[in-house]
Amino acid sequence: MCDGGCKGGARGRPNMAPVYPKAASYPEYAQLVNRENAQVDRRLFVDEAIYQAELQQIFARSWLFLAHESQIPSPGDFIRTSMGEDDVIVVRQRDGSVKAFLNSCPHRGNRVCMVDAGTKARGFICNYHGWSFGIDGGLRGTDGKVYEKDQAFEKAQIGLTPVAQIDSYKGLIFGTFDPAAPSLLDFFGPFTFYLDIMLDNDEGGTEFIGGAIKSEIDCNWKFPAENFVGDILHAFWTHQSGAQAILGAGVDLGKRYDELAFQASVYGHGIETNLDKVGNTRTLGYPELVDYVYDLSEKASARLGDLRARAIGAISSCTVFPNFSFLPGQNTFRVWHPRGPGKIELVVWTLVNKNAPEHIKEAYRKGVMMTFSPGGVFEMDDGENWEYSTRVNQGFVTRQQPLHYALGLESTDLERELPGHIHKGSMNDANQRLFYTRWAEFMEHDNWTDLQNGDTAPPQKSVKAAE
Amino acid sequence: MLDFLDISKPFDRLDNPVTLEIERAIIRWVHAEARLLDAERYQEWLDGFIDPEIHYWMPDMETRRRDDPRGTFKYGESAYFDDNWRELEIRVKRYNEPSAWADNPATRHVHLISNIEVNATDDPALFAVCSAFTNVRNRNEADQDIIHGRREDVLRAVDGGYRLLRRRVLIVQNVLLSKNLNTFF
Ligand code: FES
Ligand SMILES: [Fe+2]
Repeated sequence: MCDGGCKGGARGRPNMAPVYPKAASYPEYAQLVNRENAQVDRRLFVDEAIYQAELQQIFARSWLFLAHESQIPSPGDFIRTSMGEDDVIVVRQRDGSVKAFLNSCPHRGNRVCMVDAGTKARGFICNYHGWSFGIDGGLRGTDGKVYEKDQAFEKAQIGLTPVAQIDSYKGLIFGTFDPAAPSLLDFFGPFTFYLDIMLDNDEGGTEFIGGAIKSEIDCNWKFPAENFVGDILHAFWTHQSGAQAILGAGVDLGKRYDELAFQASVYGHGIETNLDKVGNTRTLGYPELVDYVYDLSEKASARLGDLRARAIGAISSCTVFPNFSFLPGQNTFRVWHPRGPGKIELVVWTLVNKNAPEHIKEAYRKGVMMTFSPGGVFEMDDGENWEYSTRVNQGFVTRQQPLHYALGLESTDLERELPGHIHKGSMNDANQRLFYTRWAEFMEHDNWTDLQNGDTAPPQKSVKAAE
Repeated sequence: MLDFLDISKPFDRLDNPVTLEIERAIIRWVHAEARLLDAERYQEWLDGFIDPEIHYWMPDMETRRRDDPRGTFKYGESAYFDDNWRELEIRVKRYNEPSAWADNPATRHVHLISNIEVNATDDPALFAVCSAFTNVRNRNEADQDIIHGRREDVLRAVDGGYRLLRRRVLIVQNVLLSKNLNTFF
């Protein structure tokens, strides 16, 4: 019973230190990826408990894409995004560094930032009771100084919960909620060799142009992620109409396909390419872009070597595990934010080289809109496939049936001196198998030592090749 | 360039009524266009309703503070459409392919147009036409997408009829609540 000294029920002061969730181990989920038989269990795409485990095991631990440096050039510039389902603000600091915070007030939890982006903010004020936070996330003051007048109030330790680690790689800013996560470079491993195809093909570096387009698709987030990690196969059938509209012909992987095309995978990140130089760029429909990429490719071979120079505009696609994808040559960069097991929010941006002439940047802006935005002639036909691949599994009997991931079982390439697990040909399920193997590793392991030393880790020979 | 042709700007004057006869003809044009789009007669739409110098723009809407100088949308940034005639034609070509799977089986469309205001401009051949719309798509069994918005059109009088010379499409959604845009507005 309260004798008058019980402080309304409280026995101590609030401990407002950030709480970063602990990972667990779900071997029963890991087993749903059947590596022996190249099958994936459909419960991965509809089960609510598995989805919650993904938020804990994958999205609360992985390095996730947050922003391009060019989106927030000056102190106080910010954008709002998500990490998994967590709403996050990414802010440029006065010292030039970048911080990110949960977009939730520690008082009653309201969002403190309601807008998509802004420039030169001095801080964020919560609309509910007026607590205000600096761009460093710390609590600066309260409306009417009510709290400041309260003797027992401890302001110093109150603030927006910081994303545990932030780092950037050649213009792209990533963050993780896991203080124990290895560095961003270790998370990529030698996959940076392939990221550089788009991020380092020109001395001036890159930038995002023209804002972001957001849309909703009623599909599980893994379908688009695995599509970009290595499913060029679908392009022939799904995108026949788009290719006809722009090129007047179907998708063509080029004469030297058998000799050049490959898939590469490291820690579940994957790229497929056929090294045809401009196959992707051609589909944007602007001849000046094809000329630009031919010239760029020639210049870039000094920087990147011949193989990667051929990949800049080639028919190709890439996913950085878990949900950040891009298309070399078409320059669309995107995140598939999970919104429950059956829904995503897709955010897309256009990346260009800073040094590219203005008319080239403008052609990319329009070309990406015409092809890989919701009204684009290619993207148009993707969504329904992913929606029904997800939705049919509401059928109890349907979801007991296995899915087939067995194209290219005998295609391991042991000869090519390239980083990662290399498979011959780009029409292959190899990268998708490794994507789901990585998914299973995240489900199984509660620690990064096991996570970084499993089957998806780069084979030793290839680590050497990247050095 | 005449101010009302600048796609980055809203119409500045909407107090120039036209004759009843012109108003009736333009309202007929607006409804006929909607009926053609309902029926997916895209090639006819392009050939019969669209001016060769068309500029067709539909920006995406950002959520910004009222005091943010950038505003909700901005010409030159990302957009759903920012097309000339050739670019609209590419989209129409895709619809005409039997393998345009997002449209095969067919989507059922209704374009509801209302709040039509017809205004004269400084150029006697050009008319500034505002309208609001509800764009309904339904396909398969229960897949439904509804988009509301406003249009600011410039129509050019040619050969006793009208052609669309400029269209700004401003929708109310921030995150597009649809997987695609297999439609015109
Ligand atoms: S919830 Fe933010 S001030 Fe109360
Ligand atoms: Fe696709």
